[in-house]
Amino acid sequence: MDLSYQEKSILGTLLATVVVYGYYFTSALRHAGEFDAGSIGRFIFAVIAIVVIQIVYHIVLALESKPEPKDERDILIECKAYRNAYFSLATGAFLVISCVIMAVLMHDATPARIIVTPFLIVNLVLLFMVLAELVKYLSQLFYYRRGLR
Amino acid sequence: MSSGRIHNNVRKLRFNSSEMTQQELAEKVGVTRQTVIAIEGDKYSPSLEVAFRIAHAFGVPLEEVFQYEASDA
Repeated sequence: MDLSYQEKSILGTLLATVVVYGYYFTSALRHAGEFDAGSIGRFIFAVIAIVVIQIVYHIVLALESKPEPKDERDILIECKAYRNAYFSLATGAFLVISCVIMAVLMHDATPARIIVTPFLIVNLVLLFMVLAELVKYLSQLFYYRRGLR
Repeated sequence: MSSGRIHNNVRKLRFNSSEMTQQELAEKVGVTRQTVIAIEGDKYSPSLEVAFRIAHAFGVPLEEVFQYEASDA
């Protein structure tokens, strides 16, 4: 399959996001609970890891294939992908808000008090942000392959 | 509302212009080679500005490069 520079760049970013945040969320699930130095450390590690992977990958990519500046088609595809990502993020935000409202309404119910912790809320928001990013990358790859008609 | 498709003769015009390569056309027009490939494959309809630049690169009127085929939806 012949991939353009932009497609290779997006594919690399997509894989880095899946691997790094996959590790982060798996780790967060194992250490579910209140915030501590470990959970903040894991988040900082994930952010640094993704930046380093991106830099190294794009250096290798630039050496292997000639970087191309974005043209009007790339920008249009990016705009359409951001639209899809926005809907994903808005849905996620609605779910998190619903979750918090439910917890407030049932504040006397023990299960709700235990389940809806600041740790969960922060990780849910982060999860939906990452999912929105993934929707953006996948949308871009889809529009590059299918075309804009 | 009627919908339609835009067809083009970019591949034929390239061939008639001393077999201009996709890369050469892309450089003349100011887009990437991938965009020229997408236009030729009817996978992307360029903006009016790029369409005019393509016609200008071949030295022909716009309607000789792009044709609009209307069809009632």
